[in-house]
Amino acid sequence: MSGYFVAVKTWMLRESSDSATALARILADARVWKLKTAAVSSSPVWSTGRPALDARLPGGGWPTATLVEVLLETPGLGELQLFLPALIDCQQRADAPSWIVWIAPPHEPYAPALAQQGIELARLLVVRPASAAEALWAAEQALSSGVCAAVLLWLQGSDDRWLRRLKLAAEEGGALCVLFRPERHRFESSPARLRLALTKGEHETQLDLVKVQGGRPGPVECRVSG
Amino acid sequence: MKSVARRTAAAQSATADLFADRARTGVGPCASSGTQAAAVRRTRLWYAAVFPELPEAQAAAMLRRLCLSAQRFTSLVSIEMPNALLLDIKASVKLFGSLETLHADIDAAWRRLALPAYTATAPTTLGALWLARAGKHVRIEDTGSLAGALAELPITCTAWHPDHLQTLRSMGVIRIGDLLRLPRAGLARRLGPAAVLDLDIALARQDAPRRAFVPRERFRERCDFETEIETVVYLQKAIEPLIEHCAQFLRERQAGVQALQLRLRHRVMVETRVCVGLASITGERRRLADVLDEKLHRLELPAPVRGMELRSGALQPLSACSLDAFAGLRGTGRDTVDQLIERLRARLGEAAVYGVICIAEHRPEAAWQRVHELRSGEVGSAWGEDRAPRPVWLLAEPVMLAGAEPYELRQGGLILEEGPERIESGWWDGKGVTRDYYVARQIRGAKWWVFQERQTKSWYLHGVFA
Repeated sequence: MSGYFVAVKTWMLRESSDSATALARILADARVWKLKTAAVSSSPVWSTGRPALDARLPGGGWPTATLVEVLLETPGLGELQLFLPALIDCQQRADAPSWIVWIAPPHEPYAPALAQQGIELARLLVVRPASAAEALWAAEQALSSGVCAAVLLWLQGSDDRWLRRLKLAAEEGGALCVLFRPERHRFESSPARLRLALTKGEHETQLDLVKVQGGRPGPVECRVSG
Repeated sequence: MKSVARRTAAAQSATADLFADRARTGVGPCASSGTQAAAVRRTRLWYAAVFPELPEAQAAAMLRRLCLSAQRFTSLVSIEMPNALLLDIKASVKLFGSLETLHADIDAAWRRLALPAYTATAPTTLGALWLARAGKHVRIEDTGSLAGALAELPITCTAWHPDHLQTLRSMGVIRIGDLLRLPRAGLARRLGPAAVLDLDIALARQDAPRRAFVPRERFRERCDFETEIETVVYLQKAIEPLIEHCAQFLRERQAGVQALQLRLRHRVMVETRVCVGLASITGERRRLADVLDEKLHRLELPAPVRGMELRSGALQPLSACSLDAFAGLRGTGRDTVDQLIERLRARLGEAAVYGVICIAEHRPEAAWQRVHELRSGEVGSAWGEDRAPRPVWLLAEPVMLAGAEPYELRQGGLILEEGPERIESGWWDGKGVTRDYYVARQIRGAKWWVFQERQTKSWYLHGVFA
């Protein structure tokens, strides 16, 4: 990314001494992709409850109507703590779909803990499919049904075609769609608009933004687990 | 039009008739108490039929079938277990000409079924029943002559408890007339208030509403194919009209179903049955079609299908919200949660889709439960916010950790951060726990919920604060 900027800069200096007009000319060029405007999207965002992380995400929170991918070194690194504030927020909206669907979670979601955090259990659905294909199908159904505020999906494998279908279904339904995958998929391509990795840090869980459309990737300094 | 005509007719007749007319045309088959009931009591006329040879094992089913055939004489047919029917025929007398004709017509109906029956007509339910049980083939129209007719009957026709009948016999009471001569208070003391109430009902001193028999309807339609169908796709096409008919059937009755069954018939093999459950009561064509489609989609036909039959489960009244015409317009989605759950269940199985609720219980593993009845608005028992933190993931079984002392845990990279929280409960059901729970942190990363079994001093991992 930075290399790209350098190239623009040197070209700018060589072409014209008047930098202001040069910049305007460059921005007017259709081939130049503008970072900030690309990020603005009409769908709402949900705060992560962590100002440091919100600041790094385009729009200031978790994007909806797209795919968010979380890559985990091991489960239990505070990945749910990142999303719980958003889940609670989206359940409290009166005028919108408010169901939360968890598909193929690695363990049993513990009801007292969720109630303690403020999740409304009456509108939480747990789905346990027998295979990854069925999990993806269930996620697609839940997303495109339009009754879900958030769909959380845990997967082991990778299938680029399915991820694209998932993204399309999320765009259709307008829900927050979070996909949890093992960290080994970090260097594979993914259609997700936002990818983050959680790894064991020196003292605490380390949060890395792997891919942010309309934002700057890199590590984020924030406390992941509560 | 009908109701207007009825109302005019009622306005012309006397007040008592007006009440009777209303009671007859009214929705509720049971006469309510009060003035209306008093008026009704005078106007009812009960026909009782006792079938002495009804096989005991199928009595209930057979009586239901007899009710269906009796319903062409009157709308109020009531079952008296174990072997009798009661028909309120007052309203039908005019239609059939006279009471004699009507009575004979109904008797002929049993004869046609080759079913021996003792029948009688009286102004009260028990009066008619007792007369019929005694084998008196009589028609009594007014309460005045009822007491006289009942007095002659033997006490066995009351079908009271044999012990009570024995008591009465030892007192020298053989006929109802003897019974009526006894003082009420003494009778109530010896036989209980129920017997006195029975006598009052039989003599029209007390009103006794009856529950009318309402036939249980189900949708059932068969369809035979000209050629055998071998693929599910054609089957899905062929089932569409059946679903359409089913939805129409339900719409006409303002009812819904929660279960459907599809039976596929083969040439040699036993029929294949596809059972479908719905998350909520519905009569919508689209939802029924969706769920059946999903089921059929995954069906592997064992043999070509020659015909099929669609059966509905028991019909249930639709709730007001399921009839909401604007339900689909609200929100952005096209489906409801029920539809989503049904579709998921149709493919993944009933048990694979569930909700969770809290249970007021100290033992962590017993403090939650899966629920398969999902209904928004249903709130499980509240979990106090002031309780110690609980992990989002609970392991199905606690995992034993190496070491018995906290320092040994530290060597394993685990630091106890919060605790202990002592949980000691469940001694009463054999699954007692005595544990000290701690929030522990792995040296680089995950936050765990661990406990030490107090007796064995061994450590377990029970949950993960994800």
